[in-house]
Amino acid sequence: MKKAVFEDFDGYREVAAAVEMSRKLGVNYSPDTDLADPYIRRLHPDRMRLRVSDVFDETSSTKTLRLVAEAPPLPPFQAGQYIALSVEVDGVRTSRPYSIASPPNQLGFYDITVRRVADGVVSNYLLDCVEPGDVLESSGPAGTFYYNPIFHKKTMVCIAGGSGITPFMSMIREVLECGLDRTIHLFYGNKSFEDIIFHETLQWLSERFERFHYYPVIEEPPDGYEGSRGLITGRLVKETIGDLEEKTYYLCGPRGMYDFCVPELEGLGVPKGRLRREAYGTPADIEKDPGWPGEVKGTDTFVVTVRGRGEFSARAGEPLLVALEKGGLAVPAVCRSGECSMCRVRLLSGKVFQPAGVLLRKSDRQFGYIHSCAAYPLENLEIAL
Amino acid sequence: MADYDVVVVGAGNAGMTASAAMAKKGLKVLLLERHNIPGGCGTSFCRGRFEFEVALHQLSGMGSPEHPGPLRMMLQELGVIDDLEFVEIPELFRAVMPGTIDVRLETDKAQVIAELQRHFPGEKEGIEKFFDLAFQFATQMLSVFYFKDPDASRDKYPILYEYAFKTCREVLDSFFSDPLLKAVVSVYWGYIGMPPDRLSFAYLAILYFSFIEFKAYHVKGGSQAMSNAIVNKFLSYGGEARFHCGVRKIEVANGEVKGVVTEHGERISAKCVLSNASPVATYLQLIGPDHVPEQVHVEMRGRSLSMSGFTLYIGLDCEPGELGIRDSTSFIMSNTEIGEKVYDQMRKLHVEDDLLVLSCYNIADPDFSPKGTTELNLVTLKFGEPWLRLPPTEYFREKYRSAENMMRNLERVYPGIRDRVEELEVGTPLTHMRYLGHPAGAIYGFAQHMKDSLFFQPGGGSPIQGLHLAGGWSGDPGFQPTLEAGKAAANSILKELGA
Ligand SMILES: Cc1cc2nc3c(=O)[nH]c(=O)nc-3n(C[C@H](O)[C@H](O)[C@H](O)COP(=O)(O)OP(=O)(O)OC[C@H]3O[C@@H](n4cnc5c(N)ncnc54)[C@H](O)[C@@H]3O)c2cc1C
Ligand SMILES: Cc1cc2nc3c(=O)[nH]c(=O)nc-3n(C[C@H](O)[C@H](O)[C@H](O)COP(=O)(O)OP(=O)(O)OC[C@H]3O[C@@H](n4cnc5c(N)ncnc54)[C@H](O)[C@@H]3O)c2cc1C
Ligand code: FES
Repeated sequence: MKKAVFEDFDGYREVAAAVEMSRKLGVNYSPDTDLADPYIRRLHPDRMRLRVSDVFDETSSTKTLRLVAEAPPLPPFQAGQYIALSVEVDGVRTSRPYSIASPPNQLGFYDITVRRVADGVVSNYLLDCVEPGDVLESSGPAGTFYYNPIFHKKTMVCIAGGSGITPFMSMIREVLECGLDRTIHLFYGNKSFEDIIFHETLQWLSERFERFHYYPVIEEPPDGYEGSRGLITGRLVKETIGDLEEKTYYLCGPRGMYDFCVPELEGLGVPKGRLRREAYGTPADIEKDPGWPGEVKGTDTFVVTVRGRGEFSARAGEPLLVALEKGGLAVPAVCRSGECSMCRVRLLSGKVFQPAGVLLRKSDRQFGYIHSCAAYPLENLEIAL
Repeated sequence: MADYDVVVVGAGNAGMTASAAMAKKGLKVLLLERHNIPGGCGTSFCRGRFEFEVALHQLSGMGSPEHPGPLRMMLQELGVIDDLEFVEIPELFRAVMPGTIDVRLETDKAQVIAELQRHFPGEKEGIEKFFDLAFQFATQMLSVFYFKDPDASRDKYPILYEYAFKTCREVLDSFFSDPLLKAVVSVYWGYIGMPPDRLSFAYLAILYFSFIEFKAYHVKGGSQAMSNAIVNKFLSYGGEARFHCGVRKIEVANGEVKGVVTEHGERISAKCVLSNASPVATYLQLIGPDHVPEQVHVEMRGRSLSMSGFTLYIGLDCEPGELGIRDSTSFIMSNTEIGEKVYDQMRKLHVEDDLLVLSCYNIADPDFSPKGTTELNLVTLKFGEPWLRLPPTEYFREKYRSAENMMRNLERVYPGIRDRVEELEVGTPLTHMRYLGHPAGAIYGFAQHMKDSLFFQPGGGSPIQGLHLAGGWSGDPGFQPTLEAGKAAANSILKELGA
């Protein structure tokens, strides 16, 4: 064979010798130690099988499910993260995210606390049909709603509404149980006194620990109620905590709460970086979204053609993802809030409505990709998975 | 008959360009990616108002539309150039060691020399000679290996013959005496992942030459825009792509590739399989050690894994100027080490005084993030192996501990920056492992020791008939090389299939 040019370069012999040597004495790669998968599965499993070990009643509409791993241990998570439970209800496989309410300092189990949503598919299923011993499938822990020590302030002002208390339960328990150097002010809004989840626990913790302050706020309190009433306003926050500086604000609750509380806090001059909010699903009634085109009714139905997979019917008022699930197509989904991009599909033709706040990449927009959990058909569509 | 001419495993840079090039020539190609989006390293993710660029700091090889570089020509040929907008990065880099030195180099050889001479007046002559040598070396290298001069000889290309196998350290030592100057001039080592006392001088020379002659570029919308554009073309050429569809197995019988099995259990037959996954995963996991010829094991044994990265993705709630950020690329140094100590530090879990590379995307492209904001990417190189020894329950604590150290080093250059952070995400070697599937999260493929560099790359061929590999593991890592490697792999497959 003809000699390569570089074989005449100065130093070639030494390099060639090094190649020879390393082939004799180098690394014996092994599938067990050198591949990324085994470790990553412990830290970030795609799928987990969780067994319900206990069910606790919290309020008349809320229960806590205690989940243990079928194949322990459970992966670590950051207080505030959620898991997406995948269930089959009436022959339709779907999923919903639920925040982990137990603290990350113990990984023997995860608690999730579920509140009944009127006509809700999964919440009713979890509350009425799931019993200890049942096995549920879940994603690994996900989400970005957690304390980030690099730029969050050590005083956390948490604003929760209804079932939005769950991620904060995890954060509060972690801070108090581990004695972390942080202070938490919790404003917790509910319609009525009976709706408050974890009230006794929160009351007790606030009496016992100086660095935890609990302010329940009741929208329609009974006569003679002495605590705060109405909605959680900027004024209430300011009057209660005084100095607004050196604090990070966390919000978790229904959309209506964000619509009200975010402008209130911005009005107090809280910069965007110190105002963190959890995803909380898509709006209950998309037709009420300010951007919704008036000419289409939520009940209008359209045909969605999925390239290579057939035709499906879809209601305008329902996320495309839901129509696909009802048609038996498995589209991976985690946040179901338009943020994580797991449910990304390609729109080949037709128009969809995408509410504000969907975190779509710029070039995804340019090339016609959508997040199917936060896209509503406005015409007949053709898509590719 | 096979279901497909070619199945491509992985939609990283090489997987994508290979797929597009083959589909354009009429081959029936299926591209399988286990993630939900194409790009591999060339991707982005959204947090709040920001879309964070994962990997691309500077794109080499583009050249201007008037003087196109090899990468621009290739993207033109694939038909994607019109879907993308490129912006030139106006300067080479800033190198700063707080309290010690702060130099700003432009994409102009004379300015580079003058600026360094201003800071190191005692080494005037050496500085000029060094850059002359680097440029001569790079041009001779191009003549012989890019333009393939058939009459290459020592007389015709003396610099190439003398310097091709010298380390940076050897060349630096022969021109400079101040350790600070040596560290500044060789600071580009961070782009290749080999400290200067091991790094081949050839790489440093080519980097300076290429960034000065062809400039460095950003792509609007980030590397994800490029990934989306390439896949878009691939689909329009009739290619088929599936996401959330990892390959579990590459089937081989009698030394010949038969097809693949997906994670969903589907068996797909193909005449050829092109793997964009690492050779370690391709041979040991997807094919299985038993089907792998001994020569592959021997060849792989000679190579070690490169480092992974530790990255802070930072979104600020102010314009860059407010904090005095004026440069697209800054190297933040904490010492003048260019030898073993650097290597040892990279092998430790924690980021301490490691070399940091800071990219600010809004300098060249003010629209990169929303008005009144700034997007930064602060990265350092770390081996992934210590992270694999960490109990998973310690992961978050250790991740923030290193991130905190990086933030402190950044604050020394830009005081007050922490208070302007609106979003901040941390990527560790384990993050790269998770999203790329590469052993130990290696982002530069196999390590680039002298014995692995330039002419000693594994290449994309395989003794298994019908199997090809392309990406940062079989040739040089980096955007330009891997995008080009995909095209080259396509050419050899087209030849093999007689298409
Ligand atoms: C990140 C994240 C964390 C979450 N954590 C929890 C948790 O810890 N505990 C918990 O109980 N829920 C939590 N949720 C909400 C949960 O995922 C489901 O949306 C909820 O259980 C309703 O599901 P469903 O199937 O019963 O209702 P669906 O069948 O999905 O919906 C029925 C109707 O109710 C509307 N709707 C959906 N969700 C709500 C809601 N939250 N409030 C009012 N109307 C709604 C729908 O738009 C629809 O009109 C979380 C959501 C997100 C995005
Ligand atoms: C943080 C960081 C910074 C960087 N900075 C720069 C820079 O500034 N400039 C530069 O030029 N380069 C940079 N690089 C390097 C450059 O990004 C890479 O060298 C290049 O993108 C690698 O391309 P690739 O073709 O090897 O594919 P990769 O990007 O490695 O992608 C491989 C793909 O294969 C997929 N895959 C793997 N296994 C399977 C399977 N079994 N089934 C299906 N799919 C599979 C993976 O999901 C992935 O999408 C950086 C990299 C990182 C991570
Ligand atoms: S499931 Fe997260 S974006 Fe749709």
